[in-house]
Amino acid sequence: MVKFKDVTKRFGSVMALNDVSFTVDKGEFVFITGPSGSGKTTILKLILGEIMPSSGEVTVDGTNLHSSKSPDIPLFRQKIGTVFQDFKVLPERTVTENVEVALAVIGLPETQWNERVKHVLNLAGLGKQANLFPAQLSGGELQRTSLARALAVNPKLLLADEPTGNLDWETSDSIMKLFEKINSEGKTIIMATHNLDVIKKYKKRIIHLVDGKVSKA
Amino acid sequence: MNIHFKTALGYVRRSPFQALAATFVLTLTFFVATLVSVLGYSSSMLLKYFETRPQVITFLKDNVPVDQIAALQHKLEADSRVREVKYVSKEEALSIYKNATSDNPLLGQLVSPSIFPASLEFSVKDLSFAQDIIDEVKAEKVVDSVGFTAALGGESSLKDVVSRLRTVTTYVRIGGGVFVGMLALTSFVVLLIIISMRMVVRREEVEILNLIGATPGFIRSPIVIEALFYALFGAFLGWMLAFIGVLYLSPSAVAYFGEIPVLPRDTASLFGLFGIILGVELVAGIILAVGGSLFAVARVKKNR
Repeated sequence: MVKFKDVTKRFGSVMALNDVSFTVDKGEFVFITGPSGSGKTTILKLILGEIMPSSGEVTVDGTNLHSSKSPDIPLFRQKIGTVFQDFKVLPERTVTENVEVALAVIGLPETQWNERVKHVLNLAGLGKQANLFPAQLSGGELQRTSLARALAVNPKLLLADEPTGNLDWETSDSIMKLFEKINSEGKTIIMATHNLDVIKKYKKRIIHLVDGKVSKA
Repeated sequence: MNIHFKTALGYVRRSPFQALAATFVLTLTFFVATLVSVLGYSSSMLLKYFETRPQVITFLKDNVPVDQIAALQHKLEADSRVREVKYVSKEEALSIYKNATSDNPLLGQLVSPSIFPASLEFSVKDLSFAQDIIDEVKAEKVVDSVGFTAALGGESSLKDVVSRLRTVTTYVRIGGGVFVGMLALTSFVVLLIIISMRMVVRREEVEILNLIGATPGFIRSPIVIEALFYALFGAFLGWMLAFIGVLYLSPSAVAYFGEIPVLPRDTASLFGLFGIILGVELVAGIILAVGGSLFAVARVKKNR
């Protein structure tokens, strides 16, 4: 599903990733771990096509992002679900509308929205919060909203950047259980995290980064 | 409702004063544009009236045989430069004189029909034909003298009137065009500022939409719809206010200008004229809104 081959990424004189190579197979659940500044988020940004590698190749679901034209990037991103540490939900839209935006982006006919929204909100445990605005939600509920939005587009790959970073253990655990459930349905998940409790409890393959290099894969 | 319309309406609702400013400026622009258009139409009609109005009066010699007068009348009627040829007998001339001096009946009683010559009156389709026709008619044996409508004071004064009207019409068109152009530019700048502000406020939303795979068109759509809303609403409101104003003033204008058709006389033509103006203004509004919003989006992206 995802293949990094000798990928290097520099930001000016800073080497964020140094000759990184790894693969993630379809249906896998992989943790990318490492201390702050080790390059975890850079890897996710490269997969999402937000930034391009300085050298090397990043291939996602058979698409080499380095050779993709920029107009293709949005269409490529529509196949990927993304969950962020800071949730990135649209503050002026309700939970339902946040999910609907994702469906509008992929061009799903409006007649099919209701069913899809209900399904993902129930999956994320947000049935009762459907009409609430982000300001009325707890951190866990915001993260679930972000996850529901990511799942709504039925992505092949789910990227999560420190999804439990702003949550207490109990909430983090419930979110992780949700990720496990989604993974068990066949979705590939790549999660950047430095939450040791999560890593210890949910025993998944770990790609460990230190100073932009893979120290364990 | 389409998600882009919903989003655009949300922007309008959340910033009512910005929306009000944009709508007000655009309404003012289209209000003035409508008035300038009507003024341009009226001045054109006024000019056309005076250009085609000149009445050439060919005073006939006394005792000319009827068949010779008829021959000249037929000749004039067949001329494509001439229209509305009319024979005025001595008696009719007296009657016209009496009507013209009705406020002083004594003047009418002092004259007899014999002092008024019979005449052939006609108008030319364009002022530029007048001199040639006058020269041709003067050469006719039955014609004593030729002149223009007395009220206008003759050939030279008519040319002056038309010349002045042409100048005024040109000034109205150029001045109106410049004024409307300046207002349109102001509207464009106001739209630009409001849309740029909207883009800056929406920075986080745009970033999120980018990350979930929204195309540039998807991101721009609500912005363009919002600008279109201001422009089309402004165009319609401005047009409607001007239309109501013209309808209110038209009886006075018609009374003042008399037979000069400064405004269409029948309702259908009046609505037709304003319909055309509205159509043109709506198209202009669309161009203004789409152009302004896309330019603003491009500028904000460039400066980011």
